[in-house]
Amino acid sequence: MLIRKPSVLVFLASLALITIVATVLAQAGLVSTSFVKLLGKTLCLCIAALAMDLVWGYTGILSLGHFAFFGMGGYAIGMWLMWDRTETIVTGTLAQSPLPPTPLEIEEAIGTQIFGVVGSSDVPWLWAFAGSLPLQLAFAVLVPGLIALVFGWLAFRSRVTGVYLSILTQAGTLALSLWLFQNDSGLRGNNGLSGLQNIPGLESVSQAVLSLWFLWASAAALAGAYLLAQWTVSGRFGSVLRGIRDDEARVRFLGYEVEHYKLAVFTVTAMLCGLAGALYYPQAGIVNPAEIAPIASIYLAVWVAIGGRGRLYGAVIGAAVVSLASSWFTGGGAPDINLGFYVIKWTDWWLVLLGLSFVLVTLYAPKGLGGLVDLWTGRRSRNVGPMGPDVGALRSKEEQA
Amino acid sequence: MRLILALVLMLTGLPAMAQNGPVQTLLQTYADDIAKPSRRTIQPVLDDLAASGLPAMPSFLEAWADKGIVQRDEDGLFFYGTREGDIYVLRSVEDGSDAGEVGRREASELKPNAGVRRLIGTALVQFQLNDPDPARRRAALESLSRSPSADLLEPLRASIEGEEDPALRARKVALDRLITVRFGTDLDTRLAAIDWMSDQVSLEARAALNGLLTTDRIVGAPDADANVARVLTVGDDITEADALALLADEDILPPEVTRADRDAALIAALDNGEVAGTPVHTLNTEAARWTAYEELAAAGQVPARPPEDAVATLLAENPISEVYDEPDPTITAAAEAALAEVTSRVARAQAADLGLDALSLASIYFLAAIGLAITFGVMGVINMAHGEFIMLGAYTGYVVQQVVPDYTVSLIIALPLAFVVAAAAGVALERLVIRHLAHRPLETLLATFGISVAVQQIVKNVFGTQAVPLTSPDWLAGAWVVNDVIGISYIRIGIFVLALIFLGVLVYILRRTRLGLEVRAVTQNPGMAASLGIDPDRVGMATFALGSGIAGVAGVAIGLFAQVTSEMGAGYIVQSFMTVVVGGVGSVFGTLAGAGLIGGLQKGIEWLNPSNTLAAQTYMILFIILFIQVRPRGIVAQKGRHAQ
Repeated sequence: MLIRKPSVLVFLASLALITIVATVLAQAGLVSTSFVKLLGKTLCLCIAALAMDLVWGYTGILSLGHFAFFGMGGYAIGMWLMWDRTETIVTGTLAQSPLPPTPLEIEEAIGTQIFGVVGSSDVPWLWAFAGSLPLQLAFAVLVPGLIALVFGWLAFRSRVTGVYLSILTQAGTLALSLWLFQNDSGLRGNNGLSGLQNIPGLESVSQAVLSLWFLWASAAALAGAYLLAQWTVSGRFGSVLRGIRDDEARVRFLGYEVEHYKLAVFTVTAMLCGLAGALYYPQAGIVNPAEIAPIASIYLAVWVAIGGRGRLYGAVIGAAVVSLASSWFTGGGAPDINLGFYVIKWTDWWLVLLGLSFVLVTLYAPKGLGGLVDLWTGRRSRNVGPMGPDVGALRSKEEQA
Repeated sequence: MRLILALVLMLTGLPAMAQNGPVQTLLQTYADDIAKPSRRTIQPVLDDLAASGLPAMPSFLEAWADKGIVQRDEDGLFFYGTREGDIYVLRSVEDGSDAGEVGRREASELKPNAGVRRLIGTALVQFQLNDPDPARRRAALESLSRSPSADLLEPLRASIEGEEDPALRARKVALDRLITVRFGTDLDTRLAAIDWMSDQVSLEARAALNGLLTTDRIVGAPDADANVARVLTVGDDITEADALALLADEDILPPEVTRADRDAALIAALDNGEVAGTPVHTLNTEAARWTAYEELAAAGQVPARPPEDAVATLLAENPISEVYDEPDPTITAAAEAALAEVTSRVARAQAADLGLDALSLASIYFLAAIGLAITFGVMGVINMAHGEFIMLGAYTGYVVQQVVPDYTVSLIIALPLAFVVAAAAGVALERLVIRHLAHRPLETLLATFGISVAVQQIVKNVFGTQAVPLTSPDWLAGAWVVNDVIGISYIRIGIFVLALIFLGVLVYILRRTRLGLEVRAVTQNPGMAASLGIDPDRVGMATFALGSGIAGVAGVAIGLFAQVTSEMGAGYIVQSFMTVVVGGVGSVFGTLAGAGLIGGLQKGIEWLNPSNTLAAQTYMILFIILFIQVRPRGIVAQKGRHAQ
């Protein structure tokens, strides 16, 4: 039923097309492995942007902490990747000894190997299940979900809304990243977890092939997340969400448990972000506390705003365009502009461009890039589909204030 | 014999003495003792020299101890002599004036031995302690405190009586007590000195008391006359590992077989894939390895594992006690009591110091956050670029210092200029961006974030990524030191004063001026205010200018003690938001309370966990998240349009 929606159809078809084209080009050797990885990573970021759109564009909760959930997913999967790989290496070394290694010896050696960099050799309690892939995969989703549940329950039940909630989520994110920066946090301080691109058990598979597998996985995950998000925002549940965004008090007076709806969306999107992070960081190879810093979560909001909040494909377009453009500009892909008296180096000026264009989009194109689609379709579907916050009741209410 | 010598001296020396002044005359009286001093006979001579009170005497004594005095063989006169090749260049002992030169073999250098040199040094200190120049007296006291010794106690005590400068006198008394405690021989004076120390907080006094209480750890029963501090309980006072290490130092080795020992023994016993009949591939658990080792032990190939309680028995047989180095229990008991008193006094002083630190941090947070608080109150928008106004202010200060080299003048110029620059930037932001996003707070938040990113990067491109220096003038560079524990730098006092000034100015503007009236009206009900003829746009702009300007001034102040980088504002923005949210939006006193709470809290947590300021911030943020649960609208809850 969902598939029949034109926007969903078009989205899924384009996603499939991009994936197939990238695969073919990669097989033909026309694009590099690093580009395939970049594409795969971008798709993961799109999942996070989808989650952000659900929580901000549809429910009106400007969370400045969703990228922290993304990072948590990365840490959870990174712990298994690092543990398992180190275990292989350590077992290999210990096999040289005349006696077969005991479990205690292996754990001690892994501890020294992983935590030597922060001057410790004990294995912290956080790593108790690091040897098990299914458990760590579950943690990648469940830990963000649990934290979001507790945080959201505390925040929503005391009716913290609007900018207060934004600041609170930002503070929580800052607290998390500061904690991770400590050497005794048990997660290797500012070194983070590294070497994640080496997947244990798949040592024989080359990075070129591996990057394609991850691209497919990311594309599949994005498609799944898109369908989930579409299903969430359609029907009565979605209507209530938009109602909360436009006027929370009225929805409450209509008898809906607003807090439960907000908590559900907040938690589910946090889990979605965790999943995206778990797919992203094996492609990135390293996860460290800087990734979780509050600024990353703000960028997430920026992507959604530039893409056009309140429509799912807008979030995806925003995340893809901005993160790809960012890699192009900062990677030295864009040519420098010589003004005669000054040479504009895009590596230095890209952030200025991004910041200002973001302001301009907010000021003059509140619908974002997704608004371009309206021009093309001629706004035929005005009464169907999601009403953006700039069209909905919120705008008029705010104008009256 | 001596009489003849004196006669000869008088006959030959008379002309020379006539040319020479009182120092030479006095020296000649003791010419023999000075030329060939011995530790036993020199003291009366030194006493006499010291008693002469001649101003040139200290430098003579100094040179004497330094082997810088020569005696001319021809007439027995003493000179300052520097050897240059084959000659000595002579200078008069009276005033250091040139006194010709003499061949290497026609004069002899005075070489007092170590014992004599020490006596000379003591006599010298006596001189310096009574020197008319206070600076020299102070220098003598400093060198005395660096290398105290029992010999110097007498001259020090003697000099206290005549000391007129109260500060120096207090210092002399303190030094007397410190040296008495350490080197004194008389029980009563030492106890009196310890008693005096119990009233102090200085590091020196604490070090002296701790010096009395140094202990050694003794394994086994201590000697009968030892001054035992306590017997250590393993597990409580000392960890088992440390205790075993001590025993090992005494060659009482714990009868342990470590895992490494065991593995080495197993590998050594490895024969044909088997260890004592056990196949090697089964030795992949700790338990299996121990079993195999015990089999080896049973076969007598390796030493047996000691019984489980072997370590406990060993520790019980060898009690470990701490023994004071100071033999007299009366002294150590008095010192313990005095130290306890000092410690509690130091703790109180530290609490006061912590209070000062917290106050200073709170005033920084107040300055950084107050602008944010009033703009949020009036316009209901969060300005994420607020931190960038702080940064712009700091950079303004830096640029002014590049143009005006005098730090005091440049600071006087920079403060108002930073206000103007930041206020202009604030007005531009308000007119160009925020006004167009009226009533859309979340989008304003994000748009100002975009501005913040762009401004930060532009400043980085212009001034570079390195921190730039913003130097404070000399009169702000020092610190106000109450005692060894309490102290605060003048810059922080300056910031506190600045915060007070702005608090006063803001309260005045808001309570007593037309603008303040309008601001409060718009904050409470913009619609009603507008219908009464107040232009909310104009009020908004004025508020923005004021709030941003204060941030600029705060930037100069912060830049004086912290690093000026393009990211410095971003570091303060979250703290500022916390301050505003905790204090309550739109209220000056709320912001003050919030700044006080956050500053105090942060210092308090840092004090509980001094090694880790990162952790302190984490805990503080967690506390604030919980605080919001209790008072979602802050300490001073706002009544008005943004209240819900």
